[in-house]
Amino acid sequence: MKRSRSLFVSGYAALMLGLGLLGASLVPVSTAQAADCTTKIGAVLPTSVDWGRPIAETAQFAVDLFNEAGGVKGCDIEMVLRDTQVDPKIGVDAAKALVDLDKVPVLLGAVSSGVSMPILTSVTAPAGVMQMSCCSSSTAFTDVAADGKTNGLWFRTFATTRNQAAVAAKLIQERGYKSVGIFYKNDDWGQDIGKLVAADLEKLGIEVTTSAAINDAQPSYRAEVTEVLKTKPEALYMAIYPTEGISVMREWISLGGTQKIVAANALKSDEFRDAVGMQYLTTLVGHDSAPPRTDSATAFVDMYKARFDSEPNGPGLPNSFDAVMISLLAMEAAPELTGASIAAQVAKVTDPEGTPVSPDVDGLKEAIKLIGEGKNVSYQGATGAVVFDENGDVSAPALAWKFNEEGVEEVSYFPLADVDAFITTLSQ
Amino acid sequence: MIGLISYLTFFLTIALILAIAVLGLNLQWGFTGLFNGGIVAFFGAGAYGIVLLGGPERVDGLGGFGLPYPIALIGGVLSAGALALLVGLATTKLRHDYLAIATFGVAIALESVARNAEYFTGGAKGLSGFERPFESFIGNPFVYSLAFLFVVCLCVTAVYLFLETLVRSPFGRLLRAVRENERAATSLGKSPPTVRLISFVLGAMIMGLSGGLYATFYAFISPQDLAPVLTFQIWAMLIVGGSGNNKGAILGTLVVWGSWVGSGWLLAALAPQEWQLYAGSIQYILIGSIIVLTLLARPRGLLPEKLSQMHYTRQHVLAHTNAREAP
Repeated sequence: MKRSRSLFVSGYAALMLGLGLLGASLVPVSTAQAADCTTKIGAVLPTSVDWGRPIAETAQFAVDLFNEAGGVKGCDIEMVLRDTQVDPKIGVDAAKALVDLDKVPVLLGAVSSGVSMPILTSVTAPAGVMQMSCCSSSTAFTDVAADGKTNGLWFRTFATTRNQAAVAAKLIQERGYKSVGIFYKNDDWGQDIGKLVAADLEKLGIEVTTSAAINDAQPSYRAEVTEVLKTKPEALYMAIYPTEGISVMREWISLGGTQKIVAANALKSDEFRDAVGMQYLTTLVGHDSAPPRTDSATAFVDMYKARFDSEPNGPGLPNSFDAVMISLLAMEAAPELTGASIAAQVAKVTDPEGTPVSPDVDGLKEAIKLIGEGKNVSYQGATGAVVFDENGDVSAPALAWKFNEEGVEEVSYFPLADVDAFITTLSQ
Repeated sequence: MIGLISYLTFFLTIALILAIAVLGLNLQWGFTGLFNGGIVAFFGAGAYGIVLLGGPERVDGLGGFGLPYPIALIGGVLSAGALALLVGLATTKLRHDYLAIATFGVAIALESVARNAEYFTGGAKGLSGFERPFESFIGNPFVYSLAFLFVVCLCVTAVYLFLETLVRSPFGRLLRAVRENERAATSLGKSPPTVRLISFVLGAMIMGLSGGLYATFYAFISPQDLAPVLTFQIWAMLIVGGSGNNKGAILGTLVVWGSWVGSGWLLAALAPQEWQLYAGSIQYILIGSIIVLTLLARPRGLLPEKLSQMHYTRQHVLAHTNAREAP
């Protein structure tokens, strides 16, 4: 008992010492910042998960750029980042602490819809804080917003599943596939897109042989793979993540499944290509929301490469970048830094009639100047000229991509007008 | 200042809702020795029960009965109890690690049902749009959160008093008798399987109450809330607090949940900018360290069970032995 007590004491002491060191090393960092005032914004993102950390990194990158351009109202922006652990309880607690203790007027996040939703309904909407998610794609948000429960405080820069599903159906139709089997990730995003794609395909007269749910982290997916395989589809649609995608693809190909594959943006990863093998992926085509054909979009890719020395290939990176930029521009335009006031300005900085501005330092400086003169601007982001509808949703131009030896290359491009027109024909 | 109060209100609300589940586990494990590895199943039954019974009408599924809140809450508690009765009857022969594995399996199965049975549970999207009772009546969100905390405090007190009365009663002694030595209890003409079943169902109903309040507070429930990590969290709270002691169960909840979320807050406030991206991973290390260090210092929890301390501490046993050997 004595020994364990002293162990305990020394352990606690080490813990406290560590925290003290953390605190001490903070001081030089904060004094190194240029502006003499700071404004806080909050971010709740799954930083302890492999695919979540780059999303947070990109958000911080956007904040750094904005600070370089002069910050919001002359003040540096500090993004207070909290981890969600992909646990709704933890995410909501982090959001609540940011709103109540750090008094942030804007909250970025979360990634999973199952975390973003309770944050929206129990923290940000009641407290009047604007929430902008980079990556939550569930159609449930559209319903909640349409019910008037978000008070116009909710936005997301990730095109809804509706948009992506339509593009998937279009790709399948273009390639003339007559019957399709579907693998979908068994979560809100996967169930949504799987169902929507199946419905769209039926509308287009293409047979869906079966849809199989893929649960996370199974050692083998043989049961699911054989279930789809025995319905003999001509082509395959995959809306799953790389980790499970690798296992599914290996079993699918080893059992002689078709290589005519259409894939969702989640599979656009070098890890997936390397683990499956390029020789099996030559006929795979994927869909993703697309950057617009402007210099500002390639500017994002160039800036990202200069900063991180890699392509922005992970899911949600451009969306995370745009979420930050639009929030900060709206803060710049807002007469006061409250959630409602900022949210009301989002339309003014994403006005299609406004002066186009790009997200690099010079473009941001110009945007800040124009906003100061009371003019509307049209933010040209990494995901395009973002425009929100009344429910805080965005539509987006889309592209088709395929893997090559170096990474990912584009196959074709669908401008925003084409995507919207196609969705209209589908919903008739 | 108001922000701090608002956050603390929120923190205490969640912590006390979890404390109810910990009290339920304390009845099962602390007093009866039942190793429940599937707490989320009963928590989830309560949560989904209340949202289905008391929630708004659904376009494409079952539910939306819009029952008055107390009836919906009782319905949630009863559905957790019904599930526990089924599980309890099926596993009546199982003890210790075998029971743990069986209940763990039930929890995984229930999570899977919640994720897939869209007609009943809304699937992975979850069930949203629940109207919290009296929210529109009270209006002000801050006042409402205080009122909600008050109601949760009442529930914790009620559960606490119920359990304290129960474990001090002859039935409480019976629970401990079953925990310590089933054969001895049988030899006195008692029926351990019945006792175990009653304890299991009562504990599960208390967990269902916790789940019901949780879903009410967030006005939302999805399968993501039923991840196995919740079972681990509840267990950590009980073990750190001291199993077999109801006060310890509540204290352990506050300590574990406090360090769980407090470590995240501390790292966000103190860690340098370039570490922030890794703060989430460091937080896991901190949480683990706090639990391990507390257990190293107090292996029987912060507030150990009182009865057993009297009987089994070394001094006590030594004193007895010495007294006997003295003459």
